Order: sequence, then C-alpha cells, then structure tokens
Amino acid sequence: MSDVTHSTPAAHTEHKKHTSPVLVFVILTLFTVFEVAVTLIHVPKQVIVPILIAIALVKASLVAMYYMHLRYEKLVYTIIFVTPTLFAALLITVLMIG
Amino acid sequence: MAEEGNLNRKLGFWMFLSSEFLIFAGLIGAFVITRANIFSRSANMAEFHKSWWEPNDLSIALVSINTFILLASSLFVVLGIEAIRRDDHKGLARWLFLTIVMGVLFLGGQAIEYTLLYQEGHRYFANADPFGSAFFTLTGFHGLHVFVGTLICVGVWLRARKNVFWSGNYTTVEIFGLFWHFVDLVWVLIFTIVYLT
Repeated sequence: MSDVTHSTPAAHTEHKKHTSPVLVFVILTLFTVFEVAVTLIHVPKQVIVPILIAIALVKASLVAMYYMHLRYEKLVYTIIFVTPTLFAALLITVLMIG
Repeated sequence: MAEEGNLNRKLGFWMFLSSEFLIFAGLIGAFVITRANIFSRSANMAEFHKSWWEPNDLSIALVSINTFILLASSLFVVLGIEAIRRDDHKGLARWLFLTIVMGVLFLGGQAIEYTLLYQEGHRYFANADPFGSAFFTLTGFHGLHVFVGTLICVGVWLRARKNVFWSGNYTTVEIFGLFWHFVDLVWVLIFTIVYLT
C-alpha cells in the first residue's frame, strides 16, 4: 500500500458545502441521550421500539453521510454500500417485528 | 493514473465494508431470533429473564459511555482528516492519537462489561447460555473490529508522525477513517437493538 501517490481525495466534493462534523457529533450525542432517557422512563415496548429503531437508522445514516462522506462522494460508493444495507435493514426489521 | 489507483482502493474498501455489514446483519439477526425464541418459550417475563439477560441501569450507563467514546473517536478521525487537508501534520497526529486513546477506552469498557456478565454467570457456549452465545458473538466480533481498528490507527499515527501524509496524499488516512466510522455505525445499531429494545 504505497502512499507515494498524488491523490486529490476531496476534489469532487468542492461543489457541496460541508456540514460541520462537530454539529453532527452534537446531533448524534443528543439522539443517544434521548434514546437512553426514553428507555429509563419505561415506555411500553410496542410504542418505543419502532421509535428507537428509527432513531438508530437516522444516526447510522448521519455517520454514513457526513463522517464517511457518502454525501460528498461518488454515487457508486453509495450504491455499493446502501444496497446490501437495505436488505440487511429489511431482514432485521422483519425479525424485530416477528 | 495514481488518482485512479486511489479511487480503486476506496472502491474496493467500500465493497469490503458492504460485505462486513452483511456479516454483522447476520449476527444481529441471530441475536434477535435467539431472544425471540427464548421469549416465545417462556410462560411469563420472570421465566424469560431466567434464561435471558435484562440490562440494568449500570450496564446501560456503562454502554452509553462507551457509545459516547466511539462517537467522539469518529469525530476525532474526521478532524484529523480535515487537519491533513490543511497540511497540518501535527493536527493529524494529535487527532489520531486521541482516536487510539478512545479505542483503548472502549475496549476497557467492554472488558468491564464482560467481567460483570461473567460474574452474573453468563457464559459463551450455547447449551449453557443462549444469551451468552448470541451476545458475546455479536459484541465480541464488534470489539475485535475496534481492536483491529485501534492497531491500524497506531500504524497510521506512526506514519503521520513521520509526515508521510500531506494534503495531496492522505488516501490511507481516509480508508482507515472509513473503517473506523463503519465500526461506529455498526455500534449505533448494536447499542439500540441489543441494549435498548
């Protein structure tokens, strides 16, 4: 794995404004605090589980879009990663409902 | 030509991460099925919790701290990449070092959690403890990723200290970042499904 190459990894990202990673971190932390808080107040599982799963999916999407830079990268990376992820999410959602 | 090579490295790594995600999906699915199976065979919640673990406030607190640690480490990797884009070599090395610290802290938290579960009588083997086998396989496989990611981070950090990377050449740092963020992304799902639902 040579590093003696001249890459411009961010060259294709210039046309999209970057969201602050600190802001993304704050949002992820707030979501996590909310998740833990609603778990501690013992809301019925039928109500809270779909909400928690939805929040987890939003958090995972934020990590993929802004930390893994899928939002700014070539579309092919998104297609490669999201396609199996959708099948996996479908599998886990069906199992959770069951 | 060199840029094409770097794009191929990233493309290949995205394909690797996709396959990794499917492995984790299988393990999460196995955990959910095992839990549902035990639940359906139990007459009531008390009987269910004889065979299955219920996270208490201590374990939720411990794992919440670990989640915060992993989220913070992902932020540090992003800040490191932003630093090297500005040719701030010291900044990259500093953020990578903090990422290593976070990786070690996460593994330490997981070691404490495993010790507490062991003291509660949970074991790995399926016949003795269905919860133990499902839980330790899933979280252990993730912990292995954190361990490997931390080792890779040490390697990248050592190279960063030698000023190997610069604003036109940091694909290796980016690829390490992809792996680390992926580990974070998977943990977000494990945290909710295993501990909160």
